[in-house]
Amino acid sequence: MATRKKVLLKVIILGDSGVGKTSLMNQYVNKKFSNQYKATIGADFLTKEVIVDDRIVTLQIWDTAGQERFQSLGVAFYRGADCCVLVFDVTAPNTFKSLDSWRDEFLIQASPREPADFPFVLLGNKVDLEPRAISTKRAQQWCQSKNNIPYFETSAKEALNVEQAFQSIARNALTQQSQSVDLYNEFPDQIKLTNTTNRNSNGDSCAC
Amino acid sequence: MPATSQQLSPVEEQEKLLDDALGQVKVNAFQVKRCLDKGKLMDALKHASAMLGELRTSLLSPKSYYELYMAITDELRHMELYLLDEFQKGRKVTDLYELVQYAGNIVPRLYLLITVGLVYIKSNSGLKRDILNDLVEMCRGVQHPLRGLFLRNYLLQCTRNVLPDSPEMENEDGNGNVRDSINFVLMNFAEMNKLWVRMQHQGHSREKQNREKEREELRILVGTNLVRLSQLESVTMEKYQKIVLPGILEQVVSCKDAIAQEYLMECIIQVFPDEFHLQTLNPFLKSCAELETGVNVKNIVISLMERLAVFSQRSDGVGSGSGEDNFPSNVQLFEVFSDQVASIISNRQDLPVEDMVSLQVALVNLAHKCYPDRVDYVDKVMLNSTEVFARLGMERFEANSSVGKELQKLLRIPIDNYNNLLTVLKLQHYATLMEHLDYNGRKLLSIYILNNALESETVISSQEQVEQALNLVSTLVSDQPDQPKIEVDIEELAEEQGLLSRFIHQFKSTSSDQQYLVLLSARKILGAGGALRIKHTLPPLVFQAYQLAHKYKDLKEEDSMWEKKCQKIFQFTHSTITALVKAELAELPLRLFLQGALAINQIGFENHETVAYEFLSQAFSLYEDEISDSKAQLAAITLIVGTLEQISCFSEENAEPLRTQCALAASKLLKKPDQCRGVATCSHLFWSGKSLASNREETHDGKRVVECLKKGLRIAKQCMDISVQVQLYVELLNHYIYFFEKGNDQISVQVLNQVVGKIKEELPNLESSDETEQITKHFNNTLEHVKSRMESPESENVLYEGIEI
Repeated sequence: MATRKKVLLKVIILGDSGVGKTSLMNQYVNKKFSNQYKATIGADFLTKEVIVDDRIVTLQIWDTAGQERFQSLGVAFYRGADCCVLVFDVTAPNTFKSLDSWRDEFLIQASPREPADFPFVLLGNKVDLEPRAISTKRAQQWCQSKNNIPYFETSAKEALNVEQAFQSIARNALTQQSQSVDLYNEFPDQIKLTNTTNRNSNGDSCAC
Repeated sequence: MPATSQQLSPVEEQEKLLDDALGQVKVNAFQVKRCLDKGKLMDALKHASAMLGELRTSLLSPKSYYELYMAITDELRHMELYLLDEFQKGRKVTDLYELVQYAGNIVPRLYLLITVGLVYIKSNSGLKRDILNDLVEMCRGVQHPLRGLFLRNYLLQCTRNVLPDSPEMENEDGNGNVRDSINFVLMNFAEMNKLWVRMQHQGHSREKQNREKEREELRILVGTNLVRLSQLESVTMEKYQKIVLPGILEQVVSCKDAIAQEYLMECIIQVFPDEFHLQTLNPFLKSCAELETGVNVKNIVISLMERLAVFSQRSDGVGSGSGEDNFPSNVQLFEVFSDQVASIISNRQDLPVEDMVSLQVALVNLAHKCYPDRVDYVDKVMLNSTEVFARLGMERFEANSSVGKELQKLLRIPIDNYNNLLTVLKLQHYATLMEHLDYNGRKLLSIYILNNALESETVISSQEQVEQALNLVSTLVSDQPDQPKIEVDIEELAEEQGLLSRFIHQFKSTSSDQQYLVLLSARKILGAGGALRIKHTLPPLVFQAYQLAHKYKDLKEEDSMWEKKCQKIFQFTHSTITALVKAELAELPLRLFLQGALAINQIGFENHETVAYEFLSQAFSLYEDEISDSKAQLAAITLIVGTLEQISCFSEENAEPLRTQCALAASKLLKKPDQCRGVATCSHLFWSGKSLASNREETHDGKRVVECLKKGLRIAKQCMDISVQVQLYVELLNHYIYFFEKGNDQISVQVLNQVVGKIKEELPNLESSDETEQITKHFNNTLEHVKSRMESPESENVLYEGIEI
C-alpha cells in the first residue's frame, strides 16, 4: 500500500538572514528570481511535485526567517521534517560560521529519531558573486566532518545547480521517510477509552 | 482530571495538556489514514473532525497551541493530497464542500471547509474568486482570538499557491485577478488584526503583562498577511502605492493599539522591497506621526532609514550602468526624511528628547551613506537639532545623561566619517550644537576631535581655520564660564595639553607670510589659557616661529623683506617667551631664550647681533632673578655657557662681557663643588668660543683657560670633604688633558704631574666606598687614556714626555 500512496516530504530551509533561502525556493518552484530584497518573517511553505526514482512525491518546502526575532511563536514547524537544507552565502564568512548552530538548533528542536543519520544538505549560494570568502574545499571539509553531508554550490540568480540540489534533497528526504514511516505505522501509542468530549469543555464556554 | 494536576507547575501543566492533545491527534490521524486507505471518506472526515476538535481548547498557551496546530495541519495536508488525487480521478467536489459544513463544531468545520475548498479550487478553478470570498467571510464565525487567528493563518497558508496573481483587467472571470487577492488578504488582515487587538482587552487587568507577552508571540500570524501581499508579483509599484499600502496603513492607524502599530510598521519595512519604500516615504512617515503615544516611532523611522541607506550603497556599487537596481534619482531621500522627522518631532509631544536626537543621528548616517559629498545635509541636521533644542528651551545637557550621550554620538559621526577636521569646520552649525553639551561633554568631544586630527594628520593652514579649530576645542584652550569649580588634576591637564601642543605642530601654511599670521592668531587665542596651560601650548608656537625664521632665511633670494620679517618673528617669540616669564616660569623661558639665540646666530639677519645679545641677556636675567635652587643654577649656567660657546655673531665688545659674566656667575655659585665645575666649564668659552674678533674662529686664549682651571683647583682645595676634593681634581685633570692635547701651550707636563700627584697623594686616604671606587675608576681611565696616547704611533709621543703616571 505504501507504494501506491502519494508521498509528502517536508523539507526545511535554514540559514542566516540574506543568504538567499527564499530566492532558492522561488527559483526551484517558480523558476523566478528577483534582486529585490524582502525579508521573510515567520515560516511559510511552497509545494512542488517531483519524480524521484519513478515515484511522484510532493515536496513541501519550508522557507524560514533567518532572523530569530521574526520567529515569535517558536519553531514547531521543524517537527516532522524529512530533510533539512542548510544555506550559506559563499561571499559572507559569517553565514558559514553560523551553520553549526543552525544544525544543532534543528536537531534539538526537531528531535528526529536518529539525529546522527538525519539527512542534511548544504548549499553554498551566490556563487555568481565575487569575491569568494569560503572555498569549495572548506565547505566540503565541513560536510565531511558532519557525516558526509552532500554539498552543492548554487546560484539562485543564475539557476545554477538549483535543480540538482533539490533532486538530491528530495531523494534524501524520501530515504529518510521510508525508514521512519514503518516505525510510525506500527500503531499509535494508546487508545483512550475516556470520553474525549469532556476535555474540550475544560476551557471557556465558547461553543466554537 | 486527576487530582495530581494541582501539583504541576504551569510549564509542566502545559506540557501535559499538549501531550494529551497530541496523543489524540495521533490516534485520529492514524484513523484518518486508515479510512482513506480503505476508501471510507466519510469516516475519514469524521476522524479528521475529531482531530480538529483539539483546536477548540482554551487551555493552551500560544506556543503550545502553535505546536498542536502544526501537528494537525501536517495531517490535514496528507488528507488534502488524497482528496486532490481522488477528485482528479473524477469524484465530485461540490458534494463534499456542502457535506463538511455539517460538522458539529465551527472550528473543525471551517478547517475542513478550507481544506476541501482548496481542493475544489485546485481541481476546478472557475470558482476561485467565489470560494476565496466565501472562505474569508465564513471565518468570521470564529471570534475567539487565539482560535480565530490560527484558523485564518491556516486559510492564508493554504491559499498561498492559488491566490490569483494576474494583472488587473485580465481574468475578469471566476478565476479572479490580483485585485481579488489583494482584497482577500487585506480583509483577512483586518480581521486578524482585530482579533489580535481584542486580546489586549480581554481578561483581568493583572494579567496584562502575560497577555502582552502572548500577543507578542502571536504577532507573526498577523504579519504573515503582509508577507502574502508582498509575494504577489502583480502588485506593482503603482498598486502598492494606491491600494496595498493605504489599505494596510488605514488598518494600522485606526486600530489605535500600540503593540500592533509598532510591529506592523516594522513588518511593512521588512517585507516590502526597498524600491517600494522609496516611492512611498511620505505616506508611510506621515502615518508614523499619527501612531499612538506608546509606540516607539524612533525605532520605526530609524529602521527604514537604515534599510534604505544600505540599499543606496548596494545599488551604487552593483547597479550603476546596468539599468537595474539603480537608486531612483527622483527620490529626495534625505529631504523627505529630514522633513518628516521634523514633523514627527514637532507633532509628537511624548517623544523623549533623546529619541529626537537619535533620529538626528540616523539622519546624519543616512546623509553620510547616501550622499557622502553633501556636507550641507549634515549641516542641516546640526541646524535642525539646535532649533529643536531652542524650541524646547533646552540649553545644556550633562555628558552622561541619555540626551547628552546621544548628542555626543551625533557630534562624533562627522569626525569619524570625514576624518578631516577641516570638513567638520565647514559645518557652520556644528559649534553651536556642541554648545548644548555641558563642560565635561564638550571637553570629552574636544579630546576626541584632537585625537582624530592627530591621527589623520590634518594640517591647519589658515588663520580662520586656526580660530575655528581652537574655538571648537575651547574647553582645552582656556577657562570656561561653566567650568566646575574643582581643583585641577595636573596630570590630566598635562595629558590634554599634550594633545593640544601636538596639534599646534600641525599648523602649517603653504606660504611663510600666511604661516606668520597663523602663529599670531594661535598666540592670541592660546595666550588666554592661563599659566597652567601656556606652559604647554606656547613652547610649540615658539619652536614653530624659529622654524619659520629658518624658512625665511632659505627664501632670502626671493623675498627682499626677509630680514625685517625675521626681526618680527623674533619680536614675536620674545614677547611669547616673556608671557611665560610673567606666568612665573623661569627654566622653560630660559631655555627658549637660549634656543632663540642659537637660531638668531644661525640665521644672521640684519641687526641680529643686538637681538641675540638681548635674548642671551634675558636668559641671564632669568638666571639671576628667578632661579634660586643651586642644582638648577648649575644646570642653567651650564646651558648658558654651552649656548654662548656656540654663538659666533658677537663682536668683542659684546662677547667679552658675556664670557666674563658667565665666569663670574659660575664663581658665585653657592656650593664650592658647583663653583669648581662651573668655572671649569667656563674655561671652554676662552678656547673654542668664537666671536667676530676672532673672525668667527675659535678664540684659543690659553692664558685665560688656565686661569679658569687654576681657579677651579683653588676652589677644589677649599672643599672640606676629601672625597669630593679628589673627585673634582680628577675632573679638572680631564679638562687639563683636553686642553693640553688641543695644544694649549700654557699647560705643561709639570702642571699635569702636579695634579696627578695630588690625586695620587689623596686617593689612598679615602675610605673605601662605592664613591671612592667610582673616583678611582675615573682616575685610572684617565691615566689609561694618556698611556694609550703615548703608545699610539700616530700621536706625537713627544707631547707627553716627562709625565709621571
